[in-house]
Formats: sequence, C-alpha cells, structure tokens
Amino acid sequence: MTTSLRRLTRCAVLTALALALSVAEGLVPLTILFPLPGLRLGLANLVTVYALCRLSGREALLILVARCLLGNLLGGNLMALAFSLTGGLLALGVMALLLRVSVLSLFGVSIGGAAAHNTGQILAAMAVLGGRAPLVYLPPLLLCSLVTGAVTGGVSMLLVHRVPALGDIKS
Amino acid sequence: MKRAISFLLIAIFLLLAGCGTPSAQEQFFTMDTVMSITVNGKGAAEAAAARQEVEGLNALLSRTDGDSLISRLNAHAGDGTAVEVDSDILELLSFAKSISQLLPGCFDITIAPVMDAWGFTGEERHVPDAADLARAMALVDSGKLLLDEEAGTARLAEAGMSVDLGSVAKGYAAARTEEVLREAGVTSALLDLGRNITAVGPKADGAPWRVGVADPADSSRYLCILSLEDATASTSGGYERWFEENGVRYHHIIDPKTGYPASSGLQSVTVVSQNHLLADALSTALFVAGEEEALDFWRSRDDFELVLCTEDGRVLATEGLEAGLEFRGEEQGYDCQMVRR
Amino acid sequence: MTVRWSAADRRRPTPGDLLVALLVAAAAVALLLGLGQEGGNFLTASVVLDGETIAQYDLAALTGPVTLEVEGAAYPLTIQAEPGRIRIAESSCPGQDCVHTGWASRAGQQIICLPNRLVISLEGRVSNEVDAVTS
Repeated sequence: MTTSLRRLTRCAVLTALALALSVAEGLVPLTILFPLPGLRLGLANLVTVYALCRLSGREALLILVARCLLGNLLGGNLMALAFSLTGGLLALGVMALLLRVSVLSLFGVSIGGAAAHNTGQILAAMAVLGGRAPLVYLPPLLLCSLVTGAVTGGVSMLLVHRVPALGDIKS
Repeated sequence: MKRAISFLLIAIFLLLAGCGTPSAQEQFFTMDTVMSITVNGKGAAEAAAARQEVEGLNALLSRTDGDSLISRLNAHAGDGTAVEVDSDILELLSFAKSISQLLPGCFDITIAPVMDAWGFTGEERHVPDAADLARAMALVDSGKLLLDEEAGTARLAEAGMSVDLGSVAKGYAAARTEEVLREAGVTSALLDLGRNITAVGPKADGAPWRVGVADPADSSRYLCILSLEDATASTSGGYERWFEENGVRYHHIIDPKTGYPASSGLQSVTVVSQNHLLADALSTALFVAGEEEALDFWRSRDDFELVLCTEDGRVLATEGLEAGLEFRGEEQGYDCQMVRR
Repeated sequence: MTVRWSAADRRRPTPGDLLVALLVAAAAVALLLGLGQEGGNFLTASVVLDGETIAQYDLAALTGPVTLEVEGAAYPLTIQAEPGRIRIAESSCPGQDCVHTGWASRAGQQIICLPNRLVISLEGRVSNEVDAVTS
C-alpha cells in the first residue's frame, strides 16, 4: 500500500471509531446522574489522544473535523455542530500542548483535554445564545471533567500501549 | 491487543445497554390551556404518544369543537335523541354527576349556559343581565343529564342545556395519559396539564417530585412546596381568569347555586390525590364549597388531601401532606397551619 | 512509528497530572466565586409563539428596559422586559389574563397568553427548587 493510501485508510478507520464512540456515548445516562447540560464521558477524545500520540497533529485534526461533520450529519443540527467543533478543537489544541510537557502522563493530558472541551462548549453556547447564562454550568462541568478526564486518561493509556500504531500493521 | 479490544467492546456494549436519551418533553396547546409532558429515561416517542392521547381526548370532550362527542350531545339537547357514548366517557359523565350529588350545589357540569352568559367561553366577558342569567340558571341541572349504561347512550332532557367538561377533562386526561405511559414502560414522568400537576412515579433519582403551590397574590411565590409521587395536585382559584367591571372583579369559577362567581372565603384550593380525576373535580367543587365544608368533606374521606388559602390570609394543609411539605407562605405574611383529623 | 512524547510513554500518573487536576479544580472554584459575587441570578426568558421561539432575554444581564411588539400574533401584544423581570404590558386578546399575570421574575415561572398560544418561560439557577407549579 502506498503511504498516502495507508494514511487515508488509517484516518478513515479512526474516524469511524470516533463516530461509533460518540454515538455510543450519546446513550450514556450520565445526565441522569447529574442533570448538567453538556455532560458526557468524552470517549471520542480517546481517538484524538491516540491520533496525537501515534499519528500526527494534522491527522488528529482531520479526524476530529470529519467526526464532528459526519456526526452531526447523522443526527444533529448546526448548533450541536458548533458546540462539538469548538469543544473538540480547543481540546485538541490543549492536549497537543500538554503532550509536550515532559512531566505529565496521559492522565493529565486527558483531564486538561476534557476541561478544555467543556470550556469550548460553554463558549460556543454563550456565542449562540448571546448571553452569559450558560457560564453557570461551567464550574460543575469542570469538576466533572476531573473524573471523566481521568477515566478517558486511563483508557487511552491502555489504548496507546496495547494497540500498535496502525502503520505497523502489515497490510 | 486482544484484551484492549475486548475491553473496548465491553465498554461500548455496557454503554449501549444503559438506556435511551435522559428525558423528552412535549409542550402543546389543547383543552383551552398549555400542557407539557416530561418523560424520564425514555425516548421522545413516549412523550409524543402521551400528547396524542390528550389531543385525541380533546377532540372527544371539547365543547368548542363542533365535531366532538360532547358537541353532539349538546346539539341534541331536548330533542329526545340519545347520543351513543363509549363506556369510558359514560363513566366520566357518571363520575361528574356523582360529585354533584356528594357536594350538592358546589359542582355541576351542566353549568355551561351560565358560563356562556358571562362570556367566559367567548370573546367578551361581561356581567350578564338578570333575565339572561335566570334563563341560563334554569338550564343547570346535571340530574337532567340522562345516562343509559346498558344502551351506552347519553342525552340532555331539556333544549338549551349544555355540558362542559372543563372541570374534569384535565384530570381524566391525566389518568389516561398515565396509562399510556405506563404501558410503554415509563416509570418516571411529570405531566403539567394546565397547571394540574401529575407525578408519575418518582423523579429519575428516586426522590419525589417537588411541586410548588402558587401564591394567589403573587405568582412568583409559593404557599408551600409539596412532595409528590404517583399523585395529582390540582388547584382552583379565582386569581387567574377574571375581568373587572365597574371596579368589581369577577372570576371564572361560577357557583351553581347563585350563578355568580363563587365567594366562599377561599382564594385557592389545591387537592392532592392518587385519583387524578377526583383531584381535578374536587378542586373546583371545594373552592365553591368553602373552608368549613371542604374540611368536613376531607374528614369524611381518606382518598385526598388539601391545601387551602383563605381570603383572611391563612394557609391550611391537611395532615396527610405533612411528610415532605415545606411551608413558604410565612414570608408573604400568611399564617400557615397543619389541619388534623 | 515510535511514540514521540514522553507523556504517552508513561504508565503511571505523575505529580504533574495532579497539578493539572488542581489547576482545573482551582479554575472551577474561582469561576464559582466570581459568579457568586455577581449575585449569580442568571435568568433567561424565552418567548415562544405557537411552538416557535421568537425572542430570548438574559434578564439578569439587561441594563435597561426593552419592549417587544409581537405583531405576528393573532392578537398583537407588547412584551416588556426589565433587569430581572418580564411581563406582557398590553395585549389585544379578549380575556387579558396574560396582562393580569403581571411581572414574572422567578425561574420556573410562566406567563401564558392562551388566545395567542404564546408562552414566556423563565429559566435560571434557582429553577431546581421545584419541578413544577400548580396554580
């Protein structure tokens, strides 16, 4: 397989996985436990972490944008797209930076990513609704992101170590 | 590798098995009021089905919809034609008649001609002239609503008579909606049918629903907060639908004895009961009856509880409500008391 | 391809992770305090005409009075919003019940104009005090 074809396949597989994860996560009754708008586990962030570690920032970005566009095409609206894109992009940026900090593990990176994701969502909500009302939800969401970030951090550690880089799989 | 994949798969399946969207809500206008239905732990389909049920009932029970069953019954008043009515609705009519017998002079579903004379059903509310009112009052008598259970028919004995189910339709709708939701497997829902609140099961977290009883003097304040589970809280008061003529305020709950807005010394009555239909009907009847008769009636039965707000500034709650009740009326200067049997 | 970042190599949480967690928690607390000082009574009023949201006001953030003329309604009406409260000031509807309702200022409250199929609902932080109101 040529490198570009391999890259394309790799991105496609990861995008599909991210989509599946975000659909699965849409069914998580987390908001039943804590009635907080925007609260989710952030499983799709796993794919971003994996792509950042094993592939490149560019590919991670590509996968993220494709996931958001497709995900909202499948069952969403423009508003939801704005929320997930802003959150996702901010999380991606923050995690790319945190990965470069040598004293952190994937736990710290994921917690930072989850917090950034929530912040991005609330910023988008404030922009869309044209007021500061959504800001009330940010502090509890940030506290929740400590937990969800730690969970996804643990899983991503497993993932990055146990799943070989897709490029290493013999085609 | 294998372990990581199986871990992921297990995680995904666990999440998929979790449950559907956390809650779905429908808000809509029907039965001359606003309704909203919130269903926990299920998809939007259940809430939509509940809405359909209520809208279907409105098409049967509305007096303003010319094609409805009730309109047909009213149109044939006095002409001897018995109108075919299915057994559920027949039961509803007979329930309404039984309330008229239990609380004579406090409740009558054939009050419609008097409501019309006051203009509460149409565009222009006004005090009727004495002759019009007398003519309308002569047509009020639910004893002349004749039900034939065997034949499955109903008819009004005199021309001009008219049935209006406004005081029972929302309670009936609550009961039917609960049935629809339960059949669909719903265990937690909140129905707000024109501010008659029905709690189906507890909240998603297992705690009872918290329902505020509005202060008649200030809709942003509560007289008290009730804890509700599998019950309806229905309130009647003269403070929401009214008009003023020559400086006098006239509200929409007409006393069948006088033909005038009820003035029993009460500002509002809230009835809490596991029987949704009973809660709806009694809130109107006991508002007309007044404090003493309402409490006497409460002492004679064990299937409902009351919150009364009197015109002289007292809030009375019956003892069955004590668990989970929070009085809030003190801040607005009400004297709050529990009533014992 | 090799892992390029040392963070991705680690198999245990580090003190650095704790620092990130603490920073996030500190941000949450700081925000909470900051909001609390403003009184924090976020209050949003949504005006829904026949199922369609036609206007939304952040009542807590309003600095002066705002009026909205709803000409598209069956019975045209005027909505008036002020810092912290909202009402239907005038309506050409027959019953006038919506005007009689007066000012609404508390999360969870509703102003309803039945003939117009119009609902103004207030949402905010205190709304979790009750789940519904009977009136």
